[in-house]
Amino acid sequence: MTTVTAPPNGATKGEKPSRSAARVNMLRRFMAGEGFVAVLIVVYIVAVSPFASGMISERNAINVLSNLWPLAIIVVGQTFVLVLGGIDLSQAALINITNTFGALLLAKALNANTFTSTIFWGTMLGADGGPFATTGGGGVILAILIMVTIGALLGSLNGFAVAKFGMPPFMVTLGTLLLFNAISVWMTHSENVAALPPEYLQIGQGGFGGPFTYAMVIALVLAIAAHFVLSSTPFGRWLYASGINKKTAIISGVPYKRVLISAYTISAVFATIGGILYSTRLGAGRPTLGGDTLLLDVIGAAVIGGISLFGGKGSVLGAFLGAIFFVVLSNSLNLLNLPFTIVFIVKGLVIIAAALLDVARRRVLGGTP
Amino acid sequence: MAKYNSLMIGATALVLITALTACGSTGGSTSGSGSGEDTTVDVQSDLTGKTICFGFSGSETEFWAAGIESITTSLEKAGAKVIEQNSNEDPNRQLEQVRDCITQGVDGIVIIPQDGASAVTIVGEANAANIPIGVFNRPPADESGKALVAVADNRDVSKQTNEYLAEVAGKLGRKVQPLIMVGDLSDQNALARRDGFYDVINANPDLFEKPIEVQTNWDAATGQANLEAAVQANPNIDVLFTSSDFLFPQIQAVLEPLGKWQPVGVEGHVIMGGLDGDSRACGLIKDGYVDATGVQDLFFEAESLLKALGAAIAAGETAPDQTLIDPGFALTQANLSEREKDTWGCVIAPPSK
Repeated sequence: MTTVTAPPNGATKGEKPSRSAARVNMLRRFMAGEGFVAVLIVVYIVAVSPFASGMISERNAINVLSNLWPLAIIVVGQTFVLVLGGIDLSQAALINITNTFGALLLAKALNANTFTSTIFWGTMLGADGGPFATTGGGGVILAILIMVTIGALLGSLNGFAVAKFGMPPFMVTLGTLLLFNAISVWMTHSENVAALPPEYLQIGQGGFGGPFTYAMVIALVLAIAAHFVLSSTPFGRWLYASGINKKTAIISGVPYKRVLISAYTISAVFATIGGILYSTRLGAGRPTLGGDTLLLDVIGAAVIGGISLFGGKGSVLGAFLGAIFFVVLSNSLNLLNLPFTIVFIVKGLVIIAAALLDVARRRVLGGTP
Repeated sequence: MAKYNSLMIGATALVLITALTACGSTGGSTSGSGSGEDTTVDVQSDLTGKTICFGFSGSETEFWAAGIESITTSLEKAGAKVIEQNSNEDPNRQLEQVRDCITQGVDGIVIIPQDGASAVTIVGEANAANIPIGVFNRPPADESGKALVAVADNRDVSKQTNEYLAEVAGKLGRKVQPLIMVGDLSDQNALARRDGFYDVINANPDLFEKPIEVQTNWDAATGQANLEAAVQANPNIDVLFTSSDFLFPQIQAVLEPLGKWQPVGVEGHVIMGGLDGDSRACGLIKDGYVDATGVQDLFFEAESLLKALGAAIAAGETAPDQTLIDPGFALTQANLSEREKDTWGCVIAPPSK
């Protein structure tokens, strides 16, 4: 039995660390980084695949990837806010508003029985659909730009409320979650909007063959852009600085309020784009698309991916790996044919484990939780 | 330390939300009518060695709970291995679950979709994978895919029920104020039930005032809140039709404090009808509070769907395409004694045919 009597780094000032202490240190650093998540994913797949029929198959890989891209985009968006030390609970509700409004713009036909009493009927909408019903690919691009703009405006509203009035992000985004959800349902009286143009549906359903889908391209482009912004621009450095210590960041000249509003705007834009992928793969705009558990998946994936709920730590690679873990977890639980309640219990426990892991990582890296 | 505590509180809250989402909304994956009665129907095929994926969106109402139990137990009795997938009313999750079933190489799929639009997508997935699929009770929004669809003639059942309500209302000798609690109108069934209601309203312009519409979105809390508001604004409601029987407890909660939850023949009685034919509605008709309910023949729908799916699997058909219509009927105060035995909610076990 070994008794540890010295700090794990095992060296005092001026002394060279011993080889074993260096190894321990390296291991601790690894545990605190993205490498741990990558190993966790591989170990989990190896451990579960013998029991989960078809888990290691081309078809399942395509399924997993199809489920991954929209979630990963939303998690990457959430990363900007979490790094800042905030949280965006309104992402799912933003998805509901933007994907429904976009579908209304693009719908080729609308059932008068269903939509006649909705707010836009007779002005923007009619039995012939929305204003971009017959405009083809150009209309689709325009509609997407409008959706993203609406998402950005609503996201900046969140950021403005937090930055300008100093309100807690949890309360602001909880409030806007309810507000945006209500607006989504109100727009169509809870109706789904189908009959969407094929050019639009292709975004979530089309591709270059096999796993190489348009959704994949969109997700990877956004992830690379987000990685560049976080790691190689002053804005990224300001985000981390603000997340580590807000007061120090402000004293150091970080335009804190502007950074904060930008982070919430980016979170909303990424949520909007993720929502477009979810909506198009289901073939309809839905005011309840971002369901009860999407938010749990997003936050859970982010924290597993090493994005600290305390702020100041996290990366796009970690966000992506966290999303992969959550998608693989869901997929495997389905393939194991576990009862629905067990699936939720497992996910709940994983979220607790992720929170504990976050605390452990902070300790390993010298944080002060 | 304070941050640490906040984090743990936050994580605990997230987990509680997760657990409540799992347990509170639509129950678990293995549902039951809770009757203890035999709900199996005759599939008429030997499905030994076959695996059937059964995806449903929830088991919130008695109709769905009984339907889920009937389908699961009937398939198992026929020898099939049943993979149950509960999407908890999330169409995205249902799509992912069906895809995961396809990955496992199932021989057939049965779904109760969240709505008609998502049914179209899921049927398309099954067609692309060459797996026969049956849709129970909620039809796809369009006919672009090939599927076996068992569905009640909701418009006609609703019409029959509301015709009875109109007959009773006509005896009051004055114009009456009707109210309809409509379901989620993205569900074809909800649309058809509302259309059946309006068929009767429009056929009797001298009897009915302009109807009041109460949105429920197939959600009990939403339905109750909206009904409360509607009744406050319009206290003189004479006729109330709910698009689903599962809302009767909410209706009672709203009407009882106003003295309007009264049996037939007692001052203040609101003429009431529903649709589904569940045990609650059956009991309320027996007790005199409800005048009529449209009955979907749950066992007919389950049996006809599973028979057709079993036959398709046996014949190696990968894309059977057939609509199986359940004609349904209205159970009323007038025909209760004759039709009670045909109403699934009154007997739970399949009625003898």
